[in-house]
Amino acid sequence: MQRYILRRLMQGAVLLVVLAIVVFALARVTGNPADLLLREDATAEDRAHLLKALGLDRPTHQQLLIFLKGAVRGDLGDSIRYRKPAVEVFFERLPNTVGLVSIALVGAMVVAIPLGMLAAVGRGTLVDRAAGAVAVLGIATPSFWLGIVLIYVFSIQLGWLPSARMGTPAHYVLPVITLGAFLVAGMMRLVRSSVLEVLDSEFVKLARIKGLTQTVVLWKHCLRNALIPVVTLFGVFFALLVTGAIVTETVFAWPGVGRLTYEAVIFRDYPLLQAVILLKAIIVLGVNLVVDILYAYLDPRVRYA
Amino acid sequence: MPSRGLTFLVLAFWLLAAFATPPATAADKDTLVIAIDTLGAQVMDPIADTRAPHAHYHAPVWDSLVGFDLERGGIGPGVAERWERPADGKSWTFYLRRGQRFHNGDPVTAHDVKFSLERTMSPESIASGAAALRRAIERIEVVDDLTVRVHTRGVIPHFAASLSRAVFMEGSVMPKKYFEKVGEKGFREKPVGSGPWKFVRNVPGDRIEYEAVDYPHWRGTPQFKRLMLLLVPEQSTRLAMVRTGEASIASLGPEAIKEARAGGMKIVSVPGTMQAVYQFWGLYRPEAKASPLTDVRVREALSLAIDRQQIIDHVMAKQAQWPLPFATFRYSSDMDVARWDDWAKTALRHDPARARKLLADAGHPNGFPLTFWNTALPGTPFMVQIGEAVAGFWEKIGVKVDMKTIEWGAFDPMGRGEQKGLVGTASMYRTAGRPEPAPRYITTFISTGVQHLFGDSQHCPAICQEADRAYEAVVSEKDDARRTAATNRMIETVARSWIAVPIIEGMGYWAVNPKRVGFFKPIPGRHEFGDVAERMPRPEQKPWPN
Repeated sequence: MQRYILRRLMQGAVLLVVLAIVVFALARVTGNPADLLLREDATAEDRAHLLKALGLDRPTHQQLLIFLKGAVRGDLGDSIRYRKPAVEVFFERLPNTVGLVSIALVGAMVVAIPLGMLAAVGRGTLVDRAAGAVAVLGIATPSFWLGIVLIYVFSIQLGWLPSARMGTPAHYVLPVITLGAFLVAGMMRLVRSSVLEVLDSEFVKLARIKGLTQTVVLWKHCLRNALIPVVTLFGVFFALLVTGAIVTETVFAWPGVGRLTYEAVIFRDYPLLQAVILLKAIIVLGVNLVVDILYAYLDPRVRYA
Repeated sequence: MPSRGLTFLVLAFWLLAAFATPPATAADKDTLVIAIDTLGAQVMDPIADTRAPHAHYHAPVWDSLVGFDLERGGIGPGVAERWERPADGKSWTFYLRRGQRFHNGDPVTAHDVKFSLERTMSPESIASGAAALRRAIERIEVVDDLTVRVHTRGVIPHFAASLSRAVFMEGSVMPKKYFEKVGEKGFREKPVGSGPWKFVRNVPGDRIEYEAVDYPHWRGTPQFKRLMLLLVPEQSTRLAMVRTGEASIASLGPEAIKEARAGGMKIVSVPGTMQAVYQFWGLYRPEAKASPLTDVRVREALSLAIDRQQIIDHVMAKQAQWPLPFATFRYSSDMDVARWDDWAKTALRHDPARARKLLADAGHPNGFPLTFWNTALPGTPFMVQIGEAVAGFWEKIGVKVDMKTIEWGAFDPMGRGEQKGLVGTASMYRTAGRPEPAPRYITTFISTGVQHLFGDSQHCPAICQEADRAYEAVVSEKDDARRTAATNRMIETVARSWIAVPIIEGMGYWAVNPKRVGFFKPIPGRHEFGDVAERMPRPEQKPWPN
């Protein structure tokens, strides 16, 4: 088991180094932050001076070496825009995103699991079709549009909820629904197909032959088994949302890492962009590693493969 | 069930997130809440950000050495109540107001001004005009506590203007003693200035909070106890916040004006904040010799093809003005505004028949292919729609426009240095609202300028030489009347070249909730909030006219 974990850690480290180099190169392909900071009438001399002030006057390969050396020590450089360590900027914003995403995920599970169960049990019925329609709608509705509609209805027309920003628990409601709508759709389809598969298995038939009630068969025997892929996906969804809640964070003026990533790209804040992508990659790798270790723990075939 | 543990975990995260960011003060009638699309670097230090964000969130805290003409636009008294130049024109003496003080109680003195200018010029400064200031200033002399003299490298007639937020941001006055006591880190964490608002809290990515000073301030004594600048990048959300009263005012684009009015909001238009222009690149270069654009008749035809009133009415929702010549505004100094107003009405008219005739006379009766880079500078996304309209008008007279829409960050480097990808093409561009046109002309037309549209050191045709001479006459002239005449000649040279042509004079737009803020006038030319907040009344003090 230890060798398995060590192997996975080494794979992760190699991946991070490759990613760091790719991000470093790609960030520089799209432009230079100096061009966005300089005045319209800036001269070549002004540009050179600013590049020096930003530490971007050295040859690219030297910048890469400095970046990699620093990264090994956990120093990913100072944000050009915020004038402080990029890691610090990232961790200032991370709790905001984690809080939002966690609630959205749990909320989505609370809605998606019963809906998926109902759809599976009533396969082919009106309930199943309605649940299917909800799923299609959830996946097809752009978060951007949904967010604006929710603000219009619940903030402007009804005046029940704040339209944006962090603050009280009420501020979480609309962004959580916006993020959760997409999740509910995906999870519900997953639970439905999973439950259908379990319903067809031998142990469920045996449970029924033994005379157990439908409720016990469904909620005790079926659901626990059907939830395994959902729980597995929880980790994946969590990592994806932490890295990808850009639209929701923008619409609701949520100061999270999604918007931070967008700002780093637009502003060509190389150190911040590099730090944000690497740290997010570490989060994704970490979550995947935990899931893999759990798998390996549960299924010895994985660790001996 | 695993979900129980999960629920606890989520609750813990939620609480962590909720307490990690201190909740904003609820918008009450004592708090002026402004929702804006950018807070820039959100670092509380005048040397750590560029102009537009600086004028939003630094301006409440720091006063500028030179201020505004609040009614007309352009420059006026600031921390210095007056200034003068000796006969040789090589220095500027600034006389500070009496009785000014920083928020920690220290008086504002000439030593603070010297310290601030030197800090703005320091190597670590990324302030927009730091480099220009380094080139301009030879040394700074403290004459007495309320008098400071700046010796410049040669005659720089527009030097005082560059120390006003009406133009740039280099004039911010910082407290020398306090800075030396707390250091740079301490200064950024607990900034102190002499403005009408004291710093309270900076929450990165979310907001900055201020508190009004409790004494009369020369810029205007705030009518609200608190000021909060909220970072809300999405325009629809900003409008919703104003409509619900979560914010008092928000910045918006012209496309949202109709919606804002329908929602009961008042619209404040700030005149002369920018001029949208199109310009032709590298026409003096040998490789552009065969381009139809080298013929002045073709260039004039392209201007006559444009129906500017349509753009003002439909793209800008009637919230724009007929432009004056390149980089000039109705508040501009050093020029004959009335003369150029008359010129613009005629020369910039819509006359497609004349445009077609000019094209035919130039040998292009069926038009010609034209590459047009459509881009928008930061803060004015509507430039892309203006560019689309311009391309449409050109198509109508037979020009086959190959429009390339490009993000500003990718376009800007193309316009520097060799400009090889741009030679013989047209692009959208912008000039920001500034009272003095000359500095903008050096950037765009002079052979040593960044864009050098008329020529460079290797290829400087007659118009390039004429523009260089005209510009030199402006910046070396110490007599105001003669400088005005020289500026008029410089404007004329550019206007009849049709190489950089104004399309519309844009405005800044604010949506205001009339139940939260009373009627106020903006400062012409400046769409940022930082110097206006202290002059905004409560709704009961000055209700909005119907």
